[in-house]
Amino acid sequence: MARAPSALPNPQGSRYRADTMTKHHAAASVDRTVRAVLKDVLALGDSRVAAFDDNTPLFGALPELDSMAVAGVLTELEDRLGFLIDDDEVDGEMLETFGALRRFVERKVNG
Amino acid sequence: MSDFYDWPGGREAMLRFGPAGGPVVVLALPLFEEANRTRTFAVGLLRKLADRGVAGLLPDLPGQNDSAVATEHAMLAGWRAAFAAAAAATGRPVHSVTMRGGSLIDHDARVVSRWQLAPAKGDALIRELFRTAQAAGEPVEIDLNAWSDEGGPVTIAGNRISRPLLRDLNAADCVRDGPVRVVRLETDPAIADRKVEGAPLWRRNEPGDDPALASILADDIADWIARCAS
Repeated sequence: MARAPSALPNPQGSRYRADTMTKHHAAASVDRTVRAVLKDVLALGDSRVAAFDDNTPLFGALPELDSMAVAGVLTELEDRLGFLIDDDEVDGEMLETFGALRRFVERKVNG
Repeated sequence: MSDFYDWPGGREAMLRFGPAGGPVVVLALPLFEEANRTRTFAVGLLRKLADRGVAGLLPDLPGQNDSAVATEHAMLAGWRAAFAAAAAATGRPVHSVTMRGGSLIDHDARVVSRWQLAPAKGDALIRELFRTAQAAGEPVEIDLNAWSDEGGPVTIAGNRISRPLLRDLNAADCVRDGPVRVVRLETDPAIADRKVEGAPLWRRNEPGDDPALASILADDIADWIARCAS
């Protein structure tokens, strides 16, 4: 049975501290996961993906990212991070740059 | 070696690997486009199993690969009947090895055990299929709950797929009873008996291969079959 969160021990010390650490961790792991998904689904090299920054253009600039690959990237992100993306959330903007995609995924993860 | 098998709906081709006696693995590939992306990998896996003394079969299912049945006539019940027939025709202890949506089609087969790689529920596969169609600018218009809908097949990424197949798959799930071992990639948070490192070849935009992963899985399957027999 689920217990009320307040009844759980807090190994990180104060509540405030635990929340801060959780969010910090999420941002780093989202960045890592988005890079890993692009690498795995588009079959890109490690160095190429590691060099992506927020302004790196994706859709329309990466020949590997065609419409079929878009579906694979989004579904793989859903599976790895445990959220669902509605079709009407998918637009050209969220896939325009690496930064846009990373920020979109961060918003989904942090609900 | 190329061979064939008969099922109540006709005759289909299959590939045969390994020794003529002992347990045999019957393998079901992922469905639709995912099958093309993983076929080389799966054949490599069966060769590695043969090297470990385990026989293997890769049956074409009606409406897939080289089958004479048109893709738009493929049905879930037909896939299950054909897979069961291929398994029964061996007359040997059968272990089903299924990948992704392939785990939805071994329900009717008499098997000693089931080994599943990244098994997927039908509704998740359907969602992804529809998303692919949407991304390609050809959204699928179908009510998956309208069982009396007798409309024609829908086209998704160049494949014509019947409405009953989409509805049946949407409601389908993997067998979880009896001896079942589930292996997933480390990146997949879903529950598994074992997690292995590797990339999801079934999502790759170009067909690829991963012989190192195939070796790890061949060891795992051979070990699992030995444990099931003891």
